[in-house]
Amino acid sequence: MSVCQVSVRTPVRLGLVISWLAYTVVVLCGVAIIWGLITAAADKPPGKAQLVFAAFLELVVIVQTVIASAELALGFRPAEFATTIGYLIGIVILIPVAWFWANSERTRFSGVVLAVAALAVLGMTLRLLMLWIPPVLR
Amino acid sequence: MSDPQPRPTNSGPGRVLVAVYGVFALAACSRATVQLATKFTEAPLAYVLSAVAGVIYVVATVTLARGTQTSRRVALAAILIEAVGVLAVGTASLLDPEAFPSATVWSTYGIGYGFVPLVLPFVGLAWLYRTRPRAYAS
Repeated sequence: MSVCQVSVRTPVRLGLVISWLAYTVVVLCGVAIIWGLITAAADKPPGKAQLVFAAFLELVVIVQTVIASAELALGFRPAEFATTIGYLIGIVILIPVAWFWANSERTRFSGVVLAVAALAVLGMTLRLLMLWIPPVLR
Repeated sequence: MSDPQPRPTNSGPGRVLVAVYGVFALAACSRATVQLATKFTEAPLAYVLSAVAGVIYVVATVTLARGTQTSRRVALAAILIEAVGVLAVGTASLLDPEAFPSATVWSTYGIGYGFVPLVLPFVGLAWLYRTRPRAYAS
């Protein structure tokens, strides 16, 4: 019984680390979306601070994926393993691609492109949170 | 009509359209890969359609992003298939829920993605119409 409790408690604790990071990603994505829409409304391409912010968001997303991958490697199993892997890869890819696409033609629509990518990362992160449930709580 | 010169599909608002198509290409392809790899036998038809959706999104993304005369014809074909696909699969998933036990991008007209898959092909067609070549003088 005690062995069972120990093996149960560890994934729950690891899960909390992930949710803290995930909520940070969600908030940063929210800011990136609003920022992108504001520069679009102002008819301006994304400014330097906005691009640095997107890079910071990407950094946090990478940290999230690295930690989550480490937990998966250590034996944690989310509700849908394969889907989770897909989301962990997807969230890392989107922002760099959107960054390139937004900067290769700098108009008001560049901000919307960044907002679209941030919205997708936000959605995938929320889905990731839903799947990141320890087996005992399913 | 408002625009005297033909415009490439990959400029201005077209950048955003390509970004949205790109997100759906990633979403549909990852989803199909997971479904085909882990539970193909559960609902072969739904998952094959899921993969078809993924391929169509990839084709639409690439051709809209290239924006040449040839690529816009391919884009038109892909987006027409997409429009038929989302309406057909959306309707089929309502009429025969057992054939679609787990959601694909087009199930219930893309309800899992905020109905964006339902709206997207029509936005795509409108954009192709708006950027259509008007003079063959050369």
